[in-house]
Amino acid sequence: MKLIQLQAINKKYQMGQKEFLALNDINLSFDKGEFTAVWGPSGSGKTTLLNLIGTIDEPSSGTLLINGNDVSKLSDNEKSNYRNNQIGFIFQNFNLIPVLSAVENVMLPLQIKKTKTSIAREKAMERLSEVGLDHLANSRPDKMSGGQRQRVAIARALVTDPDVVIADEPTANLDFATSINIIEIMQKLNKKDKTTFLFSTHDQRLLDRMNRLVKLEDGCLS
Amino acid sequence: MNQITQWIKMAFRNILKSKRRTMVTLIAIGFGFASIALFQGYIHSIYEGLRSSAIHGSGIGHLTLYAKGWEAHSKSDPETYMIKGEDIKKISQIALDNEHVTLTSPRLSISGLVSNGKNSTIFIATGVIPEHEKTVKAEFYDFQPITGTPINSENSLGVEMAVGLSKHLGFAPGSDGVIMGATLDGQMNAMDINIAGTYNTGVADTNDKFIKVPFLFAQSFYDTQKADSIVIILDDWKQTDLVKQQLTDALASSDIQVEIKTWKQLSVFYNSVRNMFDMIFLFIFIIVFIIVIMSTTNTMGMAVVERTREIGTLRALGLKRRGVSFLFAAEGGLLGLTGCLFGLGIHTLVWALISYAQPSYTPPGNSTPVPLIVSFLPTSIAQLIIFMTLLALFSAIIPARRAARQNVVQSLTHV
Repeated sequence: MKLIQLQAINKKYQMGQKEFLALNDINLSFDKGEFTAVWGPSGSGKTTLLNLIGTIDEPSSGTLLINGNDVSKLSDNEKSNYRNNQIGFIFQNFNLIPVLSAVENVMLPLQIKKTKTSIAREKAMERLSEVGLDHLANSRPDKMSGGQRQRVAIARALVTDPDVVIADEPTANLDFATSINIIEIMQKLNKKDKTTFLFSTHDQRLLDRMNRLVKLEDGCLS
Repeated sequence: MNQITQWIKMAFRNILKSKRRTMVTLIAIGFGFASIALFQGYIHSIYEGLRSSAIHGSGIGHLTLYAKGWEAHSKSDPETYMIKGEDIKKISQIALDNEHVTLTSPRLSISGLVSNGKNSTIFIATGVIPEHEKTVKAEFYDFQPITGTPINSENSLGVEMAVGLSKHLGFAPGSDGVIMGATLDGQMNAMDINIAGTYNTGVADTNDKFIKVPFLFAQSFYDTQKADSIVIILDDWKQTDLVKQQLTDALASSDIQVEIKTWKQLSVFYNSVRNMFDMIFLFIFIIVFIIVIMSTTNTMGMAVVERTREIGTLRALGLKRRGVSFLFAAEGGLLGLTGCLFGLGIHTLVWALISYAQPSYTPPGNSTPVPLIVSFLPTSIAQLIIFMTLLALFSAIIPARRAARQNVVQSLTHV
């Protein structure tokens, strides 16, 4: 069984009087352990596609199956639970909580999951160690560099051992050396845990390291 | 529990993040809390003073017992509705059987003219058992010091005269005078008096009229063996209503028909002052209520706007809508609690300063200054902290719900 299946997915936005078709009849599937980039020019629908898979947005029509379950039928609370357990997010702007330390940021998904604090801290430290930031566990995000923040975000995305990690332009705000370092970390974790990584990017350095590329143009697969 | 602590820790850090805005909100809540708590402490001491003044100062006791029909007919036919001599003893015996009754003391009010031989003026007097006065008056016995000597059973003509009246007639302790008036039968009567002492009633309106005479003297003046009332003193004012009911039942079973009034029913002044202060308290409370709601809602509303992307992130990580609501409501509650603790500090400081400085003031209608007392009320303060914390928490719910309803994708792209 495919991990993710998109069947005849459409996504429309209302922009004033006009209707804008962001995704047009998308039929696509992803297997477990993929390291895949969705790429294409700006406005091609990359982020919309990942938002749908991440269940933070809903398709206008079509079916989205994850592990064989139609997620569009889930209630808001069920989607929240699903995201918490099955999906990890890495954002372009890192989106760390500024009042929390690195380890507390990584613990956050486990805290939402109601995991015992001591276990959550232990797990968060393990993930921080994997991204090489255990020495900055108690530092706040404003005391870290962009690369360090993104590594914390990677640790946070992986702390619940999700099936899928969705990374929206993860290297867009990073310099070359840091981007390579971040990509290598994600590659390593993909191989180690068999976690599926789905990226949206137009960063060639990232595209060169992908196992699979999905190109979008004007909301259509090409 | 651990989880809740983590969320509360996060909420606490968030309110510390916007220091200036938090400080303004804390000041608003803190001063609001302090003003309510101080005013509550002040009116509590006023109520306590008024209660004590009504029960002991004016001498109406906790309960005042009249013969049945006294209230309706005492003006037209007082003698018929007085308590007979033999009933005074029976009633006292039955009342004293009650565990909360410490004293029963018959009273007889008289009125007429008092003269120094040259000038005369009206007087109102109460006939009391001299030996009972210390118990009836309690702390007011020393609070209303007598110049000269108090009335006593040995000096059967000795009276205590209010200082304004004695000044008007040129009396001093040791002076002699005459009182005149009609007996209950309507016959004219005149009796010599000896001014044993003078005292300040504490109220301007009564200082030029009042005399206190021995009960037997009053009976002799009205040529009667009766009393118009019996004052009952209890060991605890909180037992007033209970004892009233018990006495009503006990006297009814002994076939003695009486009317029993509590100090609250008789003290018009206590009730009117209390109503006035309750109204002022309500007014202050409503103002503070609105300030707390407005400042908390405003602070949390701004926090929601500033942290829109953070809300989107939390929702993307799997936090449910009610979790987001809880987080912001907890921040509101924490703001309220911290504001209350700050207010408690202000309250305690002002309370200590007042207790140390002991300022006094003369209320309207009083002839002597009274100390400004603010009671420290731990139970009321604790209730106020809980109430205002919950108020701040609920005030944060509106912005919290708005935060929870936000679209996740739009929140994540918010600039």
